Amino acid sequence: MSNVNITKEEIDAILPKVADIIADALGCDLDDVQPTSSLITDLGGESIDFLDIVFRLEREFKVKIPRGKIVEDARGPLAESEFEKGGVVTAQGEERLREFLSEVPADRFKSPIKSAEIPKLFTVETFAKMIIREQRASSGA
Amino acid sequence: MIMNQRTRIAITGIGLVTPVGNDRESTWKSLQEGRPGPGPITTFDASGFTTRIGSEVKNFDFDSVGPRKLLKQASRCHHFALAAAEEAFVDAGIRPQSATGERWGLAVGAGMMSISLKELDVVHRSCAPDGAFDATRMAAPDYPADPVYFCRTQCNAGLALLALHFGIRGYSTAVHTACASGGQAIGTALKAMRRGLIDKMLVGGFDSMLNPIGLSSFCLLGALSTDNEEPWRASRPFDVTRNGFVLGEGAGFLILERWEEAIARRANIYAELAGDGNSLSCYRITDSPPDGDGPIQAIRQSLASAGLRPEDIDYVNAHGTSTQMNDQSECAALKVVLGEHLPRVSISSTKGCMGHLIAAAGAVEAAVCALAIRDGIAPVSANFQTPDPGNEAVNIVAGQSRRIPIRAALSNSLGFGGSNSCLTFRQP
Repeated sequence: MSNVNITKEEIDAILPKVADIIADALGCDLDDVQPTSSLITDLGGESIDFLDIVFRLEREFKVKIPRGKIVEDARGPLAESEFEKGGVVTAQGEERLREFLSEVPADRFKSPIKSAEIPKLFTVETFAKMIIREQRASSGA
Repeated sequence: MIMNQRTRIAITGIGLVTPVGNDRESTWKSLQEGRPGPGPITTFDASGFTTRIGSEVKNFDFDSVGPRKLLKQASRCHHFALAAAEEAFVDAGIRPQSATGERWGLAVGAGMMSISLKELDVVHRSCAPDGAFDATRMAAPDYPADPVYFCRTQCNAGLALLALHFGIRGYSTAVHTACASGGQAIGTALKAMRRGLIDKMLVGGFDSMLNPIGLSSFCLLGALSTDNEEPWRASRPFDVTRNGFVLGEGAGFLILERWEEAIARRANIYAELAGDGNSLSCYRITDSPPDGDGPIQAIRQSLASAGLRPEDIDYVNAHGTSTQMNDQSECAALKVVLGEHLPRVSISSTKGCMGHLIAAAGAVEAAVCALAIRDGIAPVSANFQTPDPGNEAVNIVAGQSRRIPIRAALSNSLGFGGSNSCLTFRQP
């Protein structure tokens, strides 16, 4: 699923609520929750927090986000074997990731990227974009 | 006294959050004065219950006891635990550092794993919208269950939060043996320290069953006092008119250290944790045997573990729940073990003041014994007036607290299911 046509206006419309939810779930100050903050690296999130955040986002925005959805979306049209090999993202996969996660500052992509470490790239805006994609999917847009 | 060669363990810090005080000294002062903790239940609407009173922790600042991230996974009683443990560390003037964390241990008496009404409501709405329960709906994509809830309600959730928050990396365990939990956790800690598994320990207990499900369960068993109009005298252990216990909540923590290490750093020592006894009555799920079998073994073991005799004991902090079966069984056990010394030994149940703190009770009452030894005061057994026929020789601390030298004290905790704990404390 592509995100090229998600507009800044769409993101800005929901970003404050997404930031609120993330700050509350991670127990951090709202001021620290910037659009480009990495949930793991900057805000100290753990795997259980991702489950919690997704649960809260689902309730707030009335969408259903299957577990592992972001990573699946990130892979996009690539087959799993094209995207990663032996737990490391391929060159093709990395290209796809940079495109999909266009909101993540470029200097955070450090080759080679381990598959297990992809969630470290996810920012607050990554979650906002995920909501918008799911809202569109559920409305049939 | 028989001198024993056992490893001596010092109590060097105490922290308390109870229905009669949110710290150590205010709780201790209230217990000495017999100031009552019970009142009408305020945390939920208990108007439909046969018992509408409880012994709640009051004016507690839930937000200040730890980082928000940690507290997200903390239940009500975990907040009490974090506050009481912090007070104990501050009191002891020592706490785990990154280099010493693995020589620190942790043993807690923790409340039972349970489900909240909020969670039950989710299950009901999602799985039984038409009345019939359909478990497959729990697996449906739109099932709205909170994933963090499970983390918060596990029996060892509080243990994990405490270990994480205070950096304790050595021997750790969470004990749940109902009302004996706190006592058995401290007894387990004593054994672990005597074996040399760790050098210092944070030990204690925490619980809160003051919620609709906890209250309803005890109401169904008929275990609670229904004196809703007079909550301050509803808990009256050992009094012939008693009619059940008062459900309470709270936390108590102690810091334990090897004796020589405590002396070397010139720590303030409240008392020695000298003995532990642990037994199971194998009688009934809800009752302790009328002849004291079970508690008798626990008390004898504890004395033997301390190297003491009945004549060395000056004070007993009884389990004294204010139920007929407990009081009968416990008095029978004390008569057997203390024998001819019974009339001389001051006995009180501080549950007359505080109510019953369930899994936290044994830990809070261990702290009470240490404070009783420090100050030479046997706290009053509140609301006791008239003994049961045949128990006249049981020397209950009636009316007001007693100033007496306390060379050694016992703390009993007798649990639902038949678990018994007895701890022995000695003057330093």
